[in-house]
Amino acid sequence: MIYLSQILGKPVIDVDGERLGTIDDLGIATGEVFPRVTSLAFRDRGHDPLMISWGKYVGSYDENEVRLRVKAVDIRFSYLQPDEVLLARDILNKQIVDTHGMRVVRVNDLKLSDTSSTQLRLLGAEVGVRGILRSLSPGLERMVLSMGRALGHPIPERIIAWSYMDLVERDLSNVKLSVSHKTLDELHPADIADIIEQLDPRLRGQVFAQLDDEQRAGAIAELEGDDAAELVGSMSEQEASRMLQEMDPDDAAELVGELDYERAEKLLKLMGVKEETAIRQLLGYPDDTAGRIMTQEVVLLPEDACVSDAIEKMRGLDEDFEAVRYVYTADDEDRLSGVVSLDRLIVADPETKLSDLATHELVTASPDEDQEDVANDIAKYNLLAMPVVDDNGHLLGAVTVDDALDVMEDEHEEDLQIAGAGRSSEGTEELPLRDLRWALRRELWFFFWMVGVAVLWAVLQGTRGGTFALVDALLMAAALPVALIVADDSVDYVTNFYLEHDPNAENTPSYLGFGIKSAGIGLVLGVLILAFAAAVVSMVSSGQALGEITSAIMSGFVASAVSVLVSFLLCVAYLRVLRRRDERNKETSGIALACVAMAVALFLFVLVACLAPALV
Amino acid sequence: MRRSNRSKILSILAVMGPGLLTSLAGNDAGGIATYSNAGATYGYGQLWTVPLMCLLLVVVQETSARMGCATGKGFASLIRERFGIRVSALAMLALVVSNFAVTLSEFAGIASGLGIFGVPVVYSVPVAALLTWILVMSGSYRRVEKILLAISCIFVTYIVAGVLAKPDWGSALTATVVPQMSFDPGYVSLLVANVGTTISPYMIFMVASNVVEKKLDAGDIAGQRADNVSGAVVAEVITWFIMLATGTVLFPAGIVVNDAADAARALEPLAGAYAGAMFAVGLVGASFLAACVLPGITASAVCEAFGWERGNDCTWQEAPVYKGLITGITLVSAAIILVPGMDLFGIMMAAQVINGILLPVLLVCLVLIASDRHIMGEHANGRVWNALTWFTVVAVIVLTVVMFAFQLMGA
Repeated sequence: MIYLSQILGKPVIDVDGERLGTIDDLGIATGEVFPRVTSLAFRDRGHDPLMISWGKYVGSYDENEVRLRVKAVDIRFSYLQPDEVLLARDILNKQIVDTHGMRVVRVNDLKLSDTSSTQLRLLGAEVGVRGILRSLSPGLERMVLSMGRALGHPIPERIIAWSYMDLVERDLSNVKLSVSHKTLDELHPADIADIIEQLDPRLRGQVFAQLDDEQRAGAIAELEGDDAAELVGSMSEQEASRMLQEMDPDDAAELVGELDYERAEKLLKLMGVKEETAIRQLLGYPDDTAGRIMTQEVVLLPEDACVSDAIEKMRGLDEDFEAVRYVYTADDEDRLSGVVSLDRLIVADPETKLSDLATHELVTASPDEDQEDVANDIAKYNLLAMPVVDDNGHLLGAVTVDDALDVMEDEHEEDLQIAGAGRSSEGTEELPLRDLRWALRRELWFFFWMVGVAVLWAVLQGTRGGTFALVDALLMAAALPVALIVADDSVDYVTNFYLEHDPNAENTPSYLGFGIKSAGIGLVLGVLILAFAAAVVSMVSSGQALGEITSAIMSGFVASAVSVLVSFLLCVAYLRVLRRRDERNKETSGIALACVAMAVALFLFVLVACLAPALV
Repeated sequence: MRRSNRSKILSILAVMGPGLLTSLAGNDAGGIATYSNAGATYGYGQLWTVPLMCLLLVVVQETSARMGCATGKGFASLIRERFGIRVSALAMLALVVSNFAVTLSEFAGIASGLGIFGVPVVYSVPVAALLTWILVMSGSYRRVEKILLAISCIFVTYIVAGVLAKPDWGSALTATVVPQMSFDPGYVSLLVANVGTTISPYMIFMVASNVVEKKLDAGDIAGQRADNVSGAVVAEVITWFIMLATGTVLFPAGIVVNDAADAARALEPLAGAYAGAMFAVGLVGASFLAACVLPGITASAVCEAFGWERGNDCTWQEAPVYKGLITGITLVSAAIILVPGMDLFGIMMAAQVINGILLPVLLVCLVLIASDRHIMGEHANGRVWNALTWFTVVAVIVLTVVMFAFQLMGA
């Protein structure tokens, strides 16, 4: 993000690298929801104010400088247009009316879109305390922000969108502020979705309300499931159902699947019959199957049709028909028999029969197949869409590559979670919590160690009594970290194996192979620990009467060796659990698995450590 | 004809008020302390400052009232919009520090005024603090405002006392017209305090916000001017007589003013044995009034500058900064007074010195805004007015620097 407070006073540089002056102000065109920056006002060396067109002359920009794409001599200066407003002069530091919150607030800073978007746009006015801090000094903002975060009170931005501002200034009342949604036409739905995600929830609904049904449909399909469901919640039922009707049925089905049952039913009933049936059919398939994400909008023709028929059919399609990648052919019994790609269709002679062009070696999916498998196949066979057929070979629809990419993205996220990285998507969790979880995940063993000491102490106190229970417990627990950390690592070992090896791939080792391998590792580690312990004890106790101490340390190490061995023996079981849960499409948390492994290791350690002296 | 004349007078009277009120409120605890100190220590030696201060007071008050009329905005808003956030933060810091110091001095005034009646500080200050806090938070201090103002008018009696003290009129008038400069550190620091109490930072905010609250516009500028000039003259006449009375009664007797009772003795020619009581009543009334006004003005200005909600109608949740500042300033200043062994009269003097030091910051903002045609339109400052304000700024800065130089040399 670029903020006005950052960019003011930064240099303007022409294409030769010559410094022309410093940025004084930015002019915006007022007729849009997210107004474009149209003019650049700067002061030259002699402090004379100059103004040039942003669109014509600015080549690149960031928060440190603005680079022009022409030489200084080629610049023609312009004047402020009647519908233009200067940000620093007219809005920054001024009072505005937040027409939605119905309050008068002061503009502390202005938030502009970042450099990744093609045009610099005004996103809104920052009226919160962060704007004050940033304008005082960006360093101060960072400091207070991190302090707030450390204390668990993140300081949010308070942004008011341009369309919800009303300027209090008298002489600007002629500026057209009420914005019609038509001006958003220039933004791609994905860009709108990006902007919406940046806004705080209260504002999301407001901005969304400005869009027409078609734009809403496009934008909401690009949003994360939770955010999208929340937005639908903020809309009236009529609006929501109209929007769903506009959406591609597969996207609509995904969105409806996120809503609660009652609301989903209501919305579906309000829709047209055709769309409702389409969505209901898709919803009939279980979650995470190919049926859920397939589009039913496919072009299917009889085998004996010719190329010109196919093209004719495509010409007659609805405007909002899903993009056609392949033309499918059906045999006499309506079964899918072949597929013709679009490029072959275009270059072919119009009279050619489709059956002559079609590829008959088909890769198909059944509607109940796992989405992930379908996505993998699409990637493997380099398809743009994969046909979905029922048991009788009738074509139901197709899973397109964009949906497949979404599936893979989700899958990737799940994998990350199993690997213990937490959710990768930003913003789903408060930052301090995420940091805390990371730290917890890394230092988890220490908590188990403390619990272990306490348990050992209690057990020793109970069985033997005496004043040395705590000392003995601590001596024994000296070897406990080894057991716990190895247990933790064994889980990492399992998850790595799980992520690397697909259970269905040919070269994947069997459970038995994996079991033998991990048992071997456990055995070697256990023996190493014992050998190390024996060496230490023999050095410490040489010639001295330290029987009590050495026996405590020794039983600790024996216990940890046993526990290490068991940890690795259990690896097979963990792998099995991971795969079973994945088959049932359940998410597994790596942290939970690590906790289980460490708990088991701890239990075994205590058991063995307390029994060992008795056995010896 | 008669009727319209009458309504004309009424409308002028309606507009009148803010300037008079502010000027009289300037004769608060700190003001009385400074003036009597000046009279007692240097006799007629600082009488020459009075006409000068009167002129400066008119300039500053007129400018801020005109700003309010022309823009419809408070001074804090204008600073923020003209200079941006950094200068506003600085100006607000200056305002909070100075007003905190002045509030402190008001409570000190209440304490020493009631002290003459034998009320111990431990009782007088907490009760006064609680009372002002309730009055300000509920917004009902406006109802008692007039009463308090009437009480503080008791200082008008200094005019009578000054006459009864049989001053040497000839030398007093000469001292008023002919400036005399002394490079005694005490003299200079008293001069700074004198400027600080006459043209206090809060006055600028108060005049402007009074004008804005009454929704006066450019058409009322003439009426405001009359109001301000008359207010300033009345206030300075009182000041002159305070200095005259103390200079006639206390200076020859070699009495150094160390507390309110000392200062009250200047009223003895008039009130005799009741001098102390009279002085005390006036001091408490004036101080109480100012103690009610100051926290509210400070909080209001800060919130205005940063765009936070303000006003007595808001709840704590809606306007935490506003309410917090009022409460904080009132409670902390009262608490400081309660610290045992505090030199109450010293606090009052110190507050005026702080005022004088911080004044240039706000005056520079004032003059720059008032001469900005983009903001003020046709009502921008003329050259003479600008020159006078700049003169004030430079004079105060020079005085402050000289004062610190002396303090350093003395140390």
